Amino acid sequence: MIVNIYTLIMLFVAFLSLFLGGYLFYAALKMFLCCEPGIPFETKSKFEQKGYLVFLLACVILSVRMLAWPWFYFMLQSFVSEVPGAMCMFGVTRILPSTVTFLQIIKPISFFMMGGWLLCYYVDKSIPTTPLARKNLFFLLIVCSVLLADSIADISYVFRMKPLMSVSCCATFFDVPLRPSAMIPQAIFGRHFQKSLFVAYYLVNIILIVLLFVPLSKKWLSLASLPKKIILSSQAVIGIINIPVVIYAFIENIIPRLMQLPYHHCIYCFMGNGMVPDAPVILGLYVIGTFAIGWMGILRLFCMTTETHDVAERLFVKINGLSVFCLFASVMMVTIHLLFT
Amino acid sequence: MTKKFWIGLALVFGIALGGVFYQKFIKSPRCAYDGSAIPFIYEVDIVLKDHSTSKFCSVYCAVHWFKNNIQLIDHVVVTDEIRGNKIDSYMAYFVESELITNETNDNRIHVFQQRQDALTHAEKFHGMMVDDPFILDE
Repeated sequence: MIVNIYTLIMLFVAFLSLFLGGYLFYAALKMFLCCEPGIPFETKSKFEQKGYLVFLLACVILSVRMLAWPWFYFMLQSFVSEVPGAMCMFGVTRILPSTVTFLQIIKPISFFMMGGWLLCYYVDKSIPTTPLARKNLFFLLIVCSVLLADSIADISYVFRMKPLMSVSCCATFFDVPLRPSAMIPQAIFGRHFQKSLFVAYYLVNIILIVLLFVPLSKKWLSLASLPKKIILSSQAVIGIINIPVVIYAFIENIIPRLMQLPYHHCIYCFMGNGMVPDAPVILGLYVIGTFAIGWMGILRLFCMTTETHDVAERLFVKINGLSVFCLFASVMMVTIHLLFT
Repeated sequence: MTKKFWIGLALVFGIALGGVFYQKFIKSPRCAYDGSAIPFIYEVDIVLKDHSTSKFCSVYCAVHWFKNNIQLIDHVVVTDEIRGNKIDSYMAYFVESELITNETNDNRIHVFQQRQDALTHAEKFHGMMVDDPFILDE
């Protein structure tokens, strides 16, 4: 184990969320099994009073746990100097690669789910009768399972991390001609894929931003149900398409240009080596902008009952605005860098 | 568009410009191939025909960059590992040995100004003299 301030804080958060998350899972399961959908209002109110503490605990744990995702990368960056041969976080990920891969997959998933749950809870809490309590409990059970898996993986990784082997430079993975990030776009766009990928990045992002602007306009309320559904579905579909487009465009085009290293495509160097000091902001804005589209989907899925409609709709508009802002700001930051560096 | 939206955008605009400013005026030069810090005694400078210079952390990185940009290059300046003197690559002696200069890319090519230094290094670290990897076709 490497002992530094980052691992100690990571362990503290992981143990805290493991114990409290375990209790939360137990309490939520117990409440979920006790809470029948058709129970009388008086009993329901009693149940809600008991559940208040559980939900409050969930809010605290999930909010803290959401910060564990960026903190994980701070921790990896702090290991760079300890691992022989590591130039950036990529080198660190070569030690215990399966655990790191698992963590890098589960952390965004848990961040997304926790954000979604917190929003659903906000909607439920805004209505005095808490009509979504049962749904929220069920959702909380799923979130708790992910949280527990994430915490256990964190603890396991921190304890087993020993910089005993020499690792290779990121250039041997990201800069070879047969790298996956080049092969897949090449198969789609042809040999000169970089130009097409660059155009696709701007095109897809602009379409997405325009689609996200539509629900914020005054005409949105006067639209019929079908066009609304089409626009919302298009947002979701283009939001999903945008993920691989942005990943490939960043690795193949944007990162080398922004780092001023035309042959270096390493996303870890971009994030952590300080060559582009605002890189974490660019990536963070993109992630929140994209997740916000998913959170709107979760709100539509779980919170659109007659009782909660108004509150959910107001929150929906706010998240939509957040998504537009984050995606627009991310594209704007990339553009400024491309123009001036 | 709310006031918050525009304030946020202005803030982000400022951060991006700050980032650009840092990259252009504050950041210390980094290896032009992989972006790592440049140790003075292993520095390689590639001077381009437009008189600009690209700096590299090792011969390994410089060679990779050199191969991709050969038509733009005017000459290459390397650093003598013993004295730290900057010399043209065609005047230097190159030795490939078991001693690694840069663990991240496993560079084993060493540069010397004096032939005797190169031979001593080769003997000490089980190496052999190699050709100048920066030969420009006339």
